[in-house]
Amino acid sequence: MTARHVVIIGNGPAANEAAISLRTQAPDARITIISKEPIRYYKPHLLPDLIAGKVSEQDLYVNPLEFYKENDIRLRLGQEVVHVSFATNEVVMEHKEVVRFDGLIIATGGKPRIPEPLQVFEDLMLSLKTLSDAKVWKERLRWVDSVLIVGGDLTSLSFTKAVLSLGKKVYFILHGDSFWPVRFNEELSSEVSQRLSDRGVEVISCRKILRLVMASEDSVEVETDGRKLRVGAIGAFFGLVPDVKFLARSGLAIERGIVVDEFLRTRFEGVYAAGDCAQVYHPKLRDYWVSIGYRNARNLGRVAALNLLGGQESAETAPAGIFQLDDISVNTSWWTEF
Amino acid sequence: MPKVDITVEVCGMAGDGTIAAGGLVNEAMSLGGFSVLGFDSYPAEIRGFGRCVTRSRIGSNEIGALADETHILISLDDLQSRSRVPFLARDSAVLFDSKPDTLLEEEQSLAAVVEPGTALFGIPFTYLATAATGTSRGRNLAALGGFAALFGVQPEWFRRVITRKFQSKGEKVLEVNLKSFDAGFHYALEKFADRLRPSFAAANVVAGPEKVMLSGNQAIGQAALDAGLKLYFGYPITPATPIMEFLAKYLPAKGGRVVQMEDEIASVGAVLGAFYAGARAMTATSGPGFALMTELITHGVMAEIPAVILNAQRGGPSTGLPTKTEQSDLHAAVFGGPGDSSRIVIAPSNVAECYSFTVQSFQLAEKYQTPVIVLTDFYLDNRVENVVMPVASEKEKTDGNLYPDESLQGSYHRYLDTESGVSPRSLPGMEGFAYVATGLEHTERAQPDYTPEIHTKMTGKRHRKLQYALEDLPVPVEYSDGGQLDVGIIGWGSTFGSIQEAVNMARERGWKVAALKITSIFPYHEKEIRSFMTKCREILITELNYEGQLANLIGHLHRKEVVRLNQVTGVPFSPSAIFSKIEALLQAGVS
Repeated sequence: MTARHVVIIGNGPAANEAAISLRTQAPDARITIISKEPIRYYKPHLLPDLIAGKVSEQDLYVNPLEFYKENDIRLRLGQEVVHVSFATNEVVMEHKEVVRFDGLIIATGGKPRIPEPLQVFEDLMLSLKTLSDAKVWKERLRWVDSVLIVGGDLTSLSFTKAVLSLGKKVYFILHGDSFWPVRFNEELSSEVSQRLSDRGVEVISCRKILRLVMASEDSVEVETDGRKLRVGAIGAFFGLVPDVKFLARSGLAIERGIVVDEFLRTRFEGVYAAGDCAQVYHPKLRDYWVSIGYRNARNLGRVAALNLLGGQESAETAPAGIFQLDDISVNTSWWTEF
Repeated sequence: MPKVDITVEVCGMAGDGTIAAGGLVNEAMSLGGFSVLGFDSYPAEIRGFGRCVTRSRIGSNEIGALADETHILISLDDLQSRSRVPFLARDSAVLFDSKPDTLLEEEQSLAAVVEPGTALFGIPFTYLATAATGTSRGRNLAALGGFAALFGVQPEWFRRVITRKFQSKGEKVLEVNLKSFDAGFHYALEKFADRLRPSFAAANVVAGPEKVMLSGNQAIGQAALDAGLKLYFGYPITPATPIMEFLAKYLPAKGGRVVQMEDEIASVGAVLGAFYAGARAMTATSGPGFALMTELITHGVMAEIPAVILNAQRGGPSTGLPTKTEQSDLHAAVFGGPGDSSRIVIAPSNVAECYSFTVQSFQLAEKYQTPVIVLTDFYLDNRVENVVMPVASEKEKTDGNLYPDESLQGSYHRYLDTESGVSPRSLPGMEGFAYVATGLEHTERAQPDYTPEIHTKMTGKRHRKLQYALEDLPVPVEYSDGGQLDVGIIGWGSTFGSIQEAVNMARERGWKVAALKITSIFPYHEKEIRSFMTKCREILITELNYEGQLANLIGHLHRKEVVRLNQVTGVPFSPSAIFSKIEALLQAGVS
C-alpha cells in the first residue's frame, strides 16, 4: 500500500513505534499522531518509580518534541477522537474537525478498570494509568501514612514496592477480580499473598468491600466483610480495559479489545489495531490474546505499521509467554517478579 | 512575587467582535493594575472580510514595546488564527471554539496546526453564549470568560469593563455580554480545573491610580481639545483619520468645528488662514497628503504663520503601505519643500508624549511663528497604552503669540529682525498693525524685496529663531546609568520603546549599554547629543526606514561613523532584533 496519510490514534509505545516504523518504511507518507493526553510520549511502566522518587518526570519522556518535527510526524496532543467513519475514512475530533485518512492504526491503550460492584466507590479510589494519575499519587503520599491497595494487577505490585520504599504502611486486598485479565486462582493468589507479606504488606483477606467513607481530608474509612480500618488513600488496581469508547457504533468488532487477526488487521481495509487495545488472534493457540506491557506494545505497533504498508508479519508471540485461560490468553512475558 | 510579562492575542474574522474583545482585555487588565500596551491590526478593506488581530502585552512592570512572541492566543476563527501559530511562544496556550456550528476540514482547523508543546483549551464559545443568552453574539465574551478563568484574572475586572462598554447600549445588550462572559468563565473553571494557569493572580499586582486606555490618535485628539483647538481641517487618510473622527465627535461641543476639505492642500491652507486670524487650528495627514502640503508649509515658513500639522507616517513612498508602520518621512518633514524652509519637527515616542507634544505644538507654532510638524507613525497612532489621564496645565495652554506693543502703532515692522529672530505678530483687525503676509521674500515691513542683502538677512532671521526655539523644545532623554558605554543607541518615535527593552535586556547581562531618545528632530539639541555620543564607543541609530534618516541628520556629530540598524518590514522593531545588533557590536568590539 502507498500510505498517503496514516492517522495513528494514541501516543503510547505502540503508537510511537508504529509512527517511526512508518516513517522508516514510507518516507513520503504523511503521518499524524492524535492523542487525548496533552503530554508527549512517556514510559508508563516507570510511573511507580516516579512515585518512589527514583526517576524524575524528565526521565519518563521518550522523545523530545523536536523528534517529531525532524521525522515529519504531526503530533496532535490534547485532542480527542470521538468517532471514526470507516465508510468515508474519516476521524471526527471532539472539536468538530474531520481528519481524513488512507490508513489508520488504533493504539489507544487501556484505561483503568473498576469492577462493577466497586464502581459506587470510584470517587474515593485512585488509579495509576497516566502521568497525571502519578502526580496525584505523589502529592497524596506526601500527606498520608498508609495506603490500601485493592485489586492486584501487575501495576499494583510495582506500585506497592514504590509505596513501601517511601516508608508507608501498605494494606492489600486481593480481590476476586485481581490479576485481571489473568484469571484469579488459589495458587496465584496465595503465591502473591505470601510475597506481599514477606515484604511487610498487610494482606487483608476478605470477600467484599462493604463501605468506603471519606473520614477526613486525608483519610478514608474502609469496612470489609471482616474488618474496619482507616487509611490515607485507596488505590484500585484491576487492570485495564481497552480505551475504545469512541469506536462504539463504528462497526469494528470489540470484545476485550479491538478484534484483529494475527496481522493486526481489523475487518476494515487499511485499519489496524495495536497495543493494549487490541485483541489479537493467535493461529497456534487458535484463540485470541491481549497484550500487556511496554515491550509488547512496541512490537505490535511496529507490526501494524509494516503490515499497513503491505507487509505480512505475524504478531504471534512465543506460547511460553502466554497465560492460558478459559476464554482469553494474555501475554505477560515481560512480567518481572515482585 | 513572580513577574508577569504575557502577550495575549485575540484573532478572528472581521465581524467576530475581535477588536472589541481585545479592547476589553486591555481595559480589564489595566483595571487590575497591570501595564498594558495593545496594538490592533485589521483589514484596510471592507468590513466583513479579512483577519483581525489584537495584541496586548500585559506586564507587572512598565512596558515600552510589543513582544516578539504570543503566550495566549484567543481564537474566534480557526482559519484566520492558523496564521498566528508561527508567533506562538513554545509553552503558549490556545483557546478556541471547540463546538463550532459546522464541521471543520483539517485544512481549516487551528488544532491541526498548533505545535504539540502548546496547551490547547477547547471551549465551546458559540454554544455557551447561545445557551446562556439565546444568541451567539456574545461568543467573544464567552472566550474572554474562559481566558479569565484559565489565567487567574479576576472576573470582576471584566464585568466592570463590560458594563462600562455596553451599558449605554441598553440592558438587553449588557445582559447578553455579561451572561456570555460568565458562561465561558464557569465552563473553563470546571472543565480545566486541573490545568489552570493562574499567572496573573500569582503576580499580586496592586492597582495604583486609575488609568485609561488611550491610543496615540486619541491622545492627540484629546490634547488638541485641551489646548483650545478651534478648527480642524483635514482630508481622510490612514492612519490619521481617527484624529478627525475623534475631533468631529468632541470638538463641536467645545465651540469648535471640524471641516473635511477637498484635499490636503486646502487643509493646510485653511490651517494657515485660521492661525493667521489668531485661531488655533490643526490638520493631520500621512505621507501622500503631507507631500501635497509641502508648498504651503513653506509658505507658512516664509510668511511666518503658525500651523500645527500632524504627519502620521505609514509605509511609503506614494500610496505605499497604508496599514503598515514606518519612520520614513523624517527627511520630508525636516527638509521637504522648496527653499531653505526650516521648520520645527517634534516626534513623540509614546502615548503620553502624543498628548504632551501636541499640546506644546500650538504654543511653539505661535511663539516661533512657523509650522510645527508632529511626526507620529501607524504603530504609535494605533497602539493603546494605559496611562494616567493626562491633563494640560494652564501654562501649557497659554496663548504663545507675541503681540506688538501698542507704542509701535503706525511704525509696525511685522518682520522686525530681532536678536532671537522672533518678531511681534499682529492679527487682522488690530488697528495700526496691518501688514501683507506674503510668500515672496520681503523686508521687515513686509514689502516684497529680492535683493541679496534682504534675502540673506531674512533667511538668517527665520533660521535663527529656530535655534532660539531649542530652549522650549523637548530635550533628548538619556536612558543610562552614567559612566562610559560600549554601545549607545539613539532612536526616535515609536521605535524607542523597543530600544528601551533591548537596553534592559543588555543591562541584565551586565553590558554597558544606554540609549538616547531624540524628541526634537529639528532643530535638534546638538550639545546634548554630542555629550551622549562622547561617552559611547559605538553609536547605533535604529529606525524604521531604509537609509537611516535620523542617522543622516545627526550622524556627523559623532567622531566616527555611526552604525545604522534599519528595518522596512512594515512592522515595529522587535526588542530582540535590536538586542542582537547590540550583541554583535559588542562581540565585534571584543575581537
